[in-house]
Amino acid sequence: MRLESLQDQFQQRIAVVGGRAQTVPDLEAALGYVVRLTQELGGRTLAAPGWGQAELERIQAVGQQAGLEVFSQGLRAQAKNIFCGFTPADWGVAQTGTLVIDSLNEDLRLATMLSEVHVAVLPAARLRPDLPSLQDELGGILQRPQAYLAMITGPSRTGDIELILTMGAHGPRQVHVLILEAAA
Amino acid sequence: MRSTPADSRQYRAQLRRALDNQFLRQTLAGFAARNRQQRAETFAGLDFAALAQEVARIKDDSLSRLPELYQQFKQAAEAGGAQVHLAADAAEANRIIADIAKKAGCQRLVKSKSMTSEEIFLNDYLEAQGLTVTETDLGEWIIQLRGEGPSHMIAPAIHLSRQEVAQLFSRVTGRELDPQNVEGLVEVARQELRQAFLSADMGISGGNFCLADSGAIGIVTNEGNARLVTTLPRVHVALVGLEKLVPDLGSALTILSLLVRNTGMGQPISGYVTWISGAVPCATGADGRKEMHVVFLDNGRLALSQDPVFKEALRCIRCGSCANVCPIYAKVGGHNYGHVYIGAIGLILTYFYHGRENARALVKNCLNCQACKAACPAGIDLPRLIKKTAGLVLAQEPRRPAKNRLLAAVLKNRRLFHFLLRRAYLTQKPLARGERLIRHLPFFFGREQGFRSLPVVARRPLRDRWPELARPEAKPHLRVALFGGCLVDFVYPEQAEALLRLLRGRGVRLDYPLEQTCCGLPALMMSEEETAREVAVQNLRALDPAEHDYVLTLCASCGSHLKENLPRLLEGAAGLAVQARQLAGKVIDFSSFMVDVLGVEPALGGSGAQAAYHAPCHLCRGLGVQRAPRELLRAAGYQYLPYAEEEVCCGFGGSYSLEFPELSAAILESKLDQVAATGAELLVTDCPGCVLQLRGGLDQRRSPIQVLHMAEAAAAALDKPRA
Repeated sequence: MRLESLQDQFQQRIAVVGGRAQTVPDLEAALGYVVRLTQELGGRTLAAPGWGQAELERIQAVGQQAGLEVFSQGLRAQAKNIFCGFTPADWGVAQTGTLVIDSLNEDLRLATMLSEVHVAVLPAARLRPDLPSLQDELGGILQRPQAYLAMITGPSRTGDIELILTMGAHGPRQVHVLILEAAA
Repeated sequence: MRSTPADSRQYRAQLRRALDNQFLRQTLAGFAARNRQQRAETFAGLDFAALAQEVARIKDDSLSRLPELYQQFKQAAEAGGAQVHLAADAAEANRIIADIAKKAGCQRLVKSKSMTSEEIFLNDYLEAQGLTVTETDLGEWIIQLRGEGPSHMIAPAIHLSRQEVAQLFSRVTGRELDPQNVEGLVEVARQELRQAFLSADMGISGGNFCLADSGAIGIVTNEGNARLVTTLPRVHVALVGLEKLVPDLGSALTILSLLVRNTGMGQPISGYVTWISGAVPCATGADGRKEMHVVFLDNGRLALSQDPVFKEALRCIRCGSCANVCPIYAKVGGHNYGHVYIGAIGLILTYFYHGRENARALVKNCLNCQACKAACPAGIDLPRLIKKTAGLVLAQEPRRPAKNRLLAAVLKNRRLFHFLLRRAYLTQKPLARGERLIRHLPFFFGREQGFRSLPVVARRPLRDRWPELARPEAKPHLRVALFGGCLVDFVYPEQAEALLRLLRGRGVRLDYPLEQTCCGLPALMMSEEETAREVAVQNLRALDPAEHDYVLTLCASCGSHLKENLPRLLEGAAGLAVQARQLAGKVIDFSSFMVDVLGVEPALGGSGAQAAYHAPCHLCRGLGVQRAPRELLRAAGYQYLPYAEEEVCCGFGGSYSLEFPELSAAILESKLDQVAATGAELLVTDCPGCVLQLRGGLDQRRSPIQVLHMAEAAAAALDKPRA
């Protein structure tokens, strides 16, 4: 019950800032979503850093089958060529619709910054009500010698011209969050 | 380098030009309205005051131990491979950053938004060293291309129209761009700046937080440019003011939640909040690591953090709300209401970071309406610090202005002061032509003062009428002293007469101690603190708090001055400090006295006339009274017609309206437009100063709307008992 209400809240909050969230049963469904989305938008590449070996192999297989080029590392070389960033997220904050991603891995950062569209996969169990409830975990990450911790709430946006809200200032123009439901 | 006119006349000319800019006026008015609404929405269900108090506590604690937090931060950051520098002043900070670039062989620099870099004019310095610097925040890029500074801390290019931006971008790209396509304009910036990111070898960012326990910096943005600035180039320099140090992430998250909500941009958290610690991986860096530097800027901050009065200014978390809610900012914008730092905090910081000359004229431009103080997420008493800063400027003038010397001499001597006020009646008589208002002011006022008619000083002041007005109450259960204030006593005695009528038969013994004089607020407004203190002592002698249950005032400004400033003025004064606190504790405004003490509800009677209300700054914010006057209006049988900017200043501000008549007029105009739009026949308020301004303005408009003090409005209800 509690988990569902966190999911609802997350979905509502991210929608307010122009992002989208929905639940998916498993990684395969997430892959189906990301491939479809990329194709619909006319993209040809998928940047998928930050995944485990087995997951990456599935991403590559499905991506290539759909005719997409899949990168997982050395993304600087592809800086002008990243259409869709497909990454895992570490936590979701329901109160604000925020993704928290431990982004020390430079490729992970680049995929979430340089892409036109960012699709993040968030395990439902990693949803938290608010930022303070994550304080210990996040404080712990920052205690490491090096850290790059990203809190991302919706697409990149600006209001700098006449305060008119406009998406896609520098980073992704769209942010999609696929909430991975707990295994039955 | 920028300069703000030190000369008041020049500064006023600049303000007049700004007032003529219709686009700016419209944009800022829309911004203020939207901001007010969004700020209220994002704080719905939250206790702003409690949160602000918590932020103030965190900041005060941090500011009290900056050297310790700095050492802790340095140790933690250096353990992670970052280099930490401390720059004593702007010149040193500029040098350090240029040296980093040179040593690392960097030529192309990209920057994300940093007010601290604006403070030290970093771009100018780096460019003079032959380096290429590109601002990457859209607003900052726009103003960089135009060779301007930011006009708002959060929205740096808010003063520009899409047409101006389109023109600028057309020049940059060599393509004709459609000004109506704002998305297209943003797209231009995205494309152009993406190139700059990819080819840059050094990134410069600011920082909103520096966490001492982990050596991490936190950066708050919406566009995501700071993420690219801190990721793509092989060198990252974060330039931060020392006051950004806080102990840990928990403290920062508390501040963050208030910071973003308080910007009034309508979101509880910004698009991106980025936390960076140590030399993070970077494929193009030496050994695959980023060359990471954190440059702390002192520039007076350490000394400021130990200043007994001004340390409060360092609590500022740069949310920009003191500009957003300021009625003056809303008329002229940041380029005319600040130097580098704009808004209320800018008036103060300009003096400390950019010197007396730049602050000299600017610092006088405050109404003391307290809107900024009420909106400050760190609880900074901005109006007070502004007056204190003005005092510093004044103390350094070769000669105090004549009006200051005159005011000081006259106010300190009650007999002389009151003698002059009585004489004013005779002087005015021929001008008034038998009316209560002077419509055409004599030449020595100057044309710009003509935006409002001025009231005629009463033929007999309240103090002369008192013996015949006061009637002993048979069995008083309350002993109340009336603090009249100069306006009620000498200009509007009828307001006190209305009060007396309302109190009749209610068991209140009302005294009017005749030794009382001006409350002293006008002296404080002109930074004449010594005079304010002397006058405070005289009033304490006149009004013994032990003899009264309440000290009632019809003037919100006198009331809030007695309540808040009196104890502060006499703090530490042997024998007097106690009395000042006691007196302050007994001060009450008219509406609260009627509603909360006498309990006049349910109904006095009343005509059912449609009435709009103007909330005096010193009542709704100064004394924190919001409910009572509206209840009293209803109790007095009026049909209350609310409007959005009820609590926005009327532009009076005492001597402010004489110093800055054009602004006072513009602020009054907005107020009266709103009131007129309600369709009300009456405009009711609780302060004789506001009555003066509103009535004078409406008379110049030849408007039929009548202005009444709340006491008069309530007394009028007695004449029309409810059926």
